[in-house]
Amino acid sequence: MSDFIERPRTACALAGALAVIGNLPDVVPIVHTSLGCGGNLANSVAFGSGYLGGGYCNGGQAPSTGVTETEIVFGGTDRLSEQIKNTLELIEAKLYVVATGCMTEMIGDDTSGTVSTFIDEGYPIVAVSTPSFKGDSYHGYDIVLDGIFNKFVPVEKEKDHKLVNIFGLVPGYDPFFRGDLEEIAKLLKSLGLRVNTFFTPDQTFENIISASKASLNIVFSRVWGVEFAEKFKERHGTPYQISDLPIGPEATDKFISDIGEKFALSPDEVIENGNKEFYGYFERCADAFCDQDLKSYAITVTNSNYAIPVSRFISTEMGWVLTDSFVTDKLTDSQKEALKSEIPLIFLTGVTEIAKAINTNHPRNRAQRYFDDLSPLYIIGSTLEKRTATARGAKHMSVSFPAYDRFITDRGYAGYRGGLHLFEDLISQFMSVKS
Amino acid sequence: MSKKIKQIAIYGKGGIGKSTTTSNLSAALSEAGYKVMQFGCDPKSDSTNTLRGGTYIPTVLDTLREKGSVNAHDVIFEGYNGIYCVEAGGPAPGVGCAGRGIITAVELFKQQKIFDELDLDFVIYDVLGDVVCGGFAVPIREGIAQHVFTVSSGDFMSIYASNNLFKGIKKYSNSGGALLGGIIANSINQGYSRDIVDDFAERTKTKIMQYVPRSITVTQSELKGKTTIEAAPDSEQAGVYRELASRIAQHETSSSPHPLELDELRAWAATWSDKLLELESGVVVGGEKAGI
Repeated sequence: MSDFIERPRTACALAGALAVIGNLPDVVPIVHTSLGCGGNLANSVAFGSGYLGGGYCNGGQAPSTGVTETEIVFGGTDRLSEQIKNTLELIEAKLYVVATGCMTEMIGDDTSGTVSTFIDEGYPIVAVSTPSFKGDSYHGYDIVLDGIFNKFVPVEKEKDHKLVNIFGLVPGYDPFFRGDLEEIAKLLKSLGLRVNTFFTPDQTFENIISASKASLNIVFSRVWGVEFAEKFKERHGTPYQISDLPIGPEATDKFISDIGEKFALSPDEVIENGNKEFYGYFERCADAFCDQDLKSYAITVTNSNYAIPVSRFISTEMGWVLTDSFVTDKLTDSQKEALKSEIPLIFLTGVTEIAKAINTNHPRNRAQRYFDDLSPLYIIGSTLEKRTATARGAKHMSVSFPAYDRFITDRGYAGYRGGLHLFEDLISQFMSVKS
Repeated sequence: MSKKIKQIAIYGKGGIGKSTTTSNLSAALSEAGYKVMQFGCDPKSDSTNTLRGGTYIPTVLDTLREKGSVNAHDVIFEGYNGIYCVEAGGPAPGVGCAGRGIITAVELFKQQKIFDELDLDFVIYDVLGDVVCGGFAVPIREGIAQHVFTVSSGDFMSIYASNNLFKGIKKYSNSGGALLGGIIANSINQGYSRDIVDDFAERTKTKIMQYVPRSITVTQSELKGKTTIEAAPDSEQAGVYRELASRIAQHETSSSPHPLELDELRAWAATWSDKLLELESGVVVGGEKAGI
């Protein structure tokens, strides 16, 4: 039996594509689908990702063909041509991405053929096929990256030996993508590298174009962006390295050492400075952390990108007792296999299923005199886990999509600074109750 | 209270003679005094050609595309003996969604309650050969046709298509959809074709409404842009169609079909293949008994 969709943790492939396009500089989408798709899908991320918003000519402003019954019966490519012409005339951009929805894919519109006539005329435009039946937003991320970087960005044989691209963090669906990318970029720059993050406010369209010059793609996901990175390697000859997002000094030391070794750059100074920074801040509040016994059992409920990094930080750096790590993405067996580590993961998506699993794994005290209670408990998940946490009397913090009980701007949990931020945010929840 | 309109859908493999049969059926029913509408459900939009002197009529969907809305009266054209002719139409081959087009056209007529307004006795849907998607199944779904007749020859592929149609009817039969009226056996000249269709009807617990022989009169009439009823009213073939029309007019109770499973159908076809081979090579049956 199929699952019903309730309180979803992702949207369709088109939504993933729109989240990517809307966070790239000077890139504008043209949505080829029925009325309503573009706005509604953009809103899922605009609100659900810590109030990320829409951006330039995205969200509610995204150009859309808004096909209706006439286009469904007779084909929608004429409407698409018209929409592309109007968009080219009215909206300034350096790249236009035509992304399809279910309706136009179901009726077999030749979107690529229509777009190719504009490409032949010299317009910067690509088409990507992103109907929901191809997968969820994480798949949309892979598809649209492939369309932009492997079909539009010109091949550059000569590589910049100090330039790296960062992929794997999915805009919107990794709510801290910007803060994480900025921290990673800062660290890699300290190491002596140049970095394309693409999705942070400092980036320009030049970063996208220069991506093919990079000598390494770092993919901060064992699952998402990997297929794209493989195709990138085939087209541009740039190898890729998969890495868990480093959170806190232990993971970041290792990450910096690995990259340093790869580029024959000494990591020592970066590691030393990073540790000085982290522990310089940490030691000041270590007394309060220990004396007030701010320890907790922890359960994580996140997407696959955050599951291992957050769980590791909580157990190894904060010393909390991690009892369950739920991964909420819909994954294939091979993707689950790729996530094998020292952290045992539980693959469940539904909010209720997860709540039930928590209650089954950790039964409550039924008036027993001696009982090994799972308390104090902290659930680090999405906003959807808030109710589960309340029912268990647990603390709760949102770090995964959807996160609409907090605002997110440049917050990030990657690196040394990110580790401090995660520690700070988690502990602050105890303090807010005390006051 | 308005009278009960009999709504019929004619299905069958492409090229088997659905439009020819449907148009002659419409013509014969009309001659018998019934008010008939023939509704072509095929993007080729040529179902009603022989009712209108071989001419094409503007389709529902073309009109919808040009004007944005359609008054059903604007797409109903009078044909032979006052038969109302409608063509759903559809997109050019290779683009858009023809199935959705059929849904749109049929729903438009249903919404405008045009059948009651015209005080019709019969609405006959002539549906495209292969029921490739849900759109082409619309006439057999709830609230449209009550009876489905399938046109089939003794050819295996034609029977395969009919069996598939039976599966489609069975699927909708529990939710108020149309039921199977019977098989119109078309192009039945060889004795064995009749036996094959009879055998198939028996196994699927349905009946043969009429055996229509292949006839040059039909071809001659069609070349003149007419039905056999109109062009050769006194021919034997016209009589066959009139008999069919009379049976369909009297037909009241359809039933849920009993399609064969694919394996059963193949096994059944294989037995017929052996029989036909024996027929061709002249195997003598019962020779031993006769002392040969």
